[in-house]
Amino acid sequence: MKNLALLLIISGCFIVFACNKADKSERFKLLTGPIWTTDSLLANGTDASGTGGVLVKFKGDAKFKEDGSGYFGIYTGTWRFNVDETEITIVTDSLILPIISDIVELTSSSFKITTVVPDKVNPLQPINIRMTFKAR
Amino acid sequence: MIHYILTSLCVLLLSFGLKAADPNGIIKGKVFDKTTQEPLAGVYVVYGKNLGTTTDQDGSYIIKTTEGKLKITFQFIGYESVTKDIVFKEVETIELNIGLEMKVREIDQIVISANKNEQKVAELTVSMDIIKTAFLSDNHITDAQELINKTPGIEVMDGQASIRGGSGFSYGVGSRVLALIDGLPVLSADAGNIKWQFLPLENLSQIEIIKGASSVLYGSSALNGIINFRTADASNIPVTQFFAETGIFGKPKNRNWIWWNTPRVFTSASFSHLQKIGRTDIGIGSNLLIDEGYRRLNGEKLARVSLRLKHFNSKVEGLSYGLNLNAGYTIKRDFVLWENADSGALKQNESATIKLHGDFLAINPYISLKKSDRYRHDLRMQIQSSRNRFPESEKNNSDAVSAFSEYQLWYRLFEFLDLTAGASENYSHVTSNFFGDHTGLNVAGFAQFEIRPLNRLKAVAGLRIENNSLDRKNDKVIPIFRAGLNWQAADYTFIRASFGQGYRYPSIAEKYAATTLGSVTIIPSPGIQPESGWSSEAGIKQGILLGKMRGQADFSLFMSQNKNMIEYFLAMYTDPDTGIPSTGFKATNIEQSRVYGGEMEFMMNGSIGNINTTISGGYTFIYPVEFNKVTNKNTGTYLKYRRKHSGKISLNGSWKKFESDLSLYAKSKILRIDDFFLSEVIGEAILPGFPGYWQKNNTAYYLIDGTIGYKLNSMLSLSFAVKNITNTEYMGRPGDIQPQRNFSLRLSGKF
Repeated sequence: MKNLALLLIISGCFIVFACNKADKSERFKLLTGPIWTTDSLLANGTDASGTGGVLVKFKGDAKFKEDGSGYFGIYTGTWRFNVDETEITIVTDSLILPIISDIVELTSSSFKITTVVPDKVNPLQPINIRMTFKAR
Repeated sequence: MIHYILTSLCVLLLSFGLKAADPNGIIKGKVFDKTTQEPLAGVYVVYGKNLGTTTDQDGSYIIKTTEGKLKITFQFIGYESVTKDIVFKEVETIELNIGLEMKVREIDQIVISANKNEQKVAELTVSMDIIKTAFLSDNHITDAQELINKTPGIEVMDGQASIRGGSGFSYGVGSRVLALIDGLPVLSADAGNIKWQFLPLENLSQIEIIKGASSVLYGSSALNGIINFRTADASNIPVTQFFAETGIFGKPKNRNWIWWNTPRVFTSASFSHLQKIGRTDIGIGSNLLIDEGYRRLNGEKLARVSLRLKHFNSKVEGLSYGLNLNAGYTIKRDFVLWENADSGALKQNESATIKLHGDFLAINPYISLKKSDRYRHDLRMQIQSSRNRFPESEKNNSDAVSAFSEYQLWYRLFEFLDLTAGASENYSHVTSNFFGDHTGLNVAGFAQFEIRPLNRLKAVAGLRIENNSLDRKNDKVIPIFRAGLNWQAADYTFIRASFGQGYRYPSIAEKYAATTLGSVTIIPSPGIQPESGWSSEAGIKQGILLGKMRGQADFSLFMSQNKNMIEYFLAMYTDPDTGIPSTGFKATNIEQSRVYGGEMEFMMNGSIGNINTTISGGYTFIYPVEFNKVTNKNTGTYLKYRRKHSGKISLNGSWKKFESDLSLYAKSKILRIDDFFLSEVIGEAILPGFPGYWQKNNTAYYLIDGTIGYKLNSMLSLSFAVKNITNTEYMGRPGDIQPQRNFSLRLSGKF
């Protein structure tokens, strides 16, 4: 019986040890710290934040929460870093496809991303997107 | 007088000498089960140094010997061994019939994969399934993929193996389960996938499956477990086996899907031979398959050969060396996309299919020196080549060669402590328009201690350090660890617990594949990172004796966690080479997974009246869920391409000349798939009709397979199999409708 207890204790220790939290990286802290507000929203080089623009719904505040959820303008969904935290993926049910963006700049006051998204009318036709945010 | 005495003495000695050089005698007899009196085939009859034979189908054996005294041991898995001392008084024939007493059979099976050393399965610290070759013939299985898919707790989805939910579906590349032949890896160097069709099913002794991370001993790609195909040893009695089989696919339940005018036919034939000549084991095997396929543009022609040579050195005890060869050639079209759900689910979308001419060659020279209870040195190599030729799309051609070598030492340091240590390297070179040209080198060192501090307690701890470089760019050095305990709580009760880390470097295909197949575009992902994880379990194995039925049951609780798992993710990306944005699939470190679960497996065999019966089965429950690695909490979102429940039960019986097998497989629905497949815009564009079909048909299902056989004589038997008797309509990955009811007739022989 002593052996059984030892066996269970050791295997339990392994699981507890292995299930520890991941350290928060510097970029993680930078992104999840502030509430971001949009500075410029460009589609194919022109402003797309006005009425009828493809990025109008991103206008406003964005929050990337530590638990992986967040809001991005009027969208709510999830986010995650990719490829050594050089990319960010935003998934919301409101978009046809997830947005996978290259992180151009991430500091305590500035967050800039670029990506391509499909055109709603012709999903195979890409639109070049550039979004910049400032910490509020 | 003295001269006379000396002459007489010389003549006497000479006659003794001559007698010793001639065959002194013959021992023959039968070996049978002491309880049932049934003859036992395949019993090892071992005598002298490295000499032996096995009993034939009738349990008979014969030994010719030059020794005056002989110690003969009769060994058979699951039975108590019996040893007899024989003394020949003169040239004579001795009849020696032996009744073996059954132990609790399954629990005593000897396996090698768990620790790279022979051990009883009950004494392992990890879960292991053993598939006996009889299962292949009893169920008319000619393909390793089908075989593994019928193992409890494992699902092979369009070539992608997942053990206990440890893997989803990533379009056939980057396997997290490592396939091995006699312990040597057989993943392709380019796509990192298992070439199922080239795995030999001839001349096998058994297939061993470790369920859980096994990277410490087997390296990258063993993140989720291993499948080791172990070839059989030859005996003094040559064994030749063959089968010829033909079959047809019936009509699918949905009659709108029928696209053929005459039934689709599949035919296969296999031949194998094992023989010991002097001190050399020789094994040859071959298999031919022509499968027209139940889907349009999805047929296959396959030829496979294997050769096994092993020589036991006569001068150095324990020294053996040899060479194994496996080769194959296939012409086939993989099924990628259907035409539509209404009438074209069994028709391949022509824009997505290309014909493949593929070949495979693996040559494995090896040398081994062992002293049974002290040490063993093994040096093994493998030169492997696989070529994919697409005559209709030469830009997708690829050639991959690899050279693997491994040195391993097993040493008994003390009676209570064993060391297994070694080093390996794997050099690979890929030439391809599809992937680009790449050169990789993987080097690793590993050590594992097995300690037996108490009589019934065994502990294992191991460490591996591995480095991978691709095109001379080094990935980070990865150290990983495993540990386990096994405690024999009673004579037939074994309790185990284990923890093992695993990892996988991305395959060249995941990093660099760039192509378009119909509406599917693959985008390269050069920045993709290795994935890693661990698995842990606690389990109990219990031997069972119920009247004349004996066997075992195994219960386990397990948990695994993986980070940065690589998945193909559909989105719009900018091509890193061309800078042109396009919608397509790209390998991404996206999934953080946890799988919790439990598994129960059992096997019982024995006699019910006059019927020899085997009942086996298993049930696996998994709860596969994403987690957030920062908060360390589950998100509640199910992992993709997993099922919560899967189970199997098989009943095999033999009576006089008849043998039958009935198996029931049940699986619950797939919990989640890639969202885009369900999108009315994208899902419809890729797989027309799929979103609606999925909503209606992603349900639990069960399958029933049955076989009945008849022994025509002592060598030949005829069997008839029906697979998917209930003609269940079910699907693997999206768009991959599985075979409808099919029938096959097989003539097989063993002599």
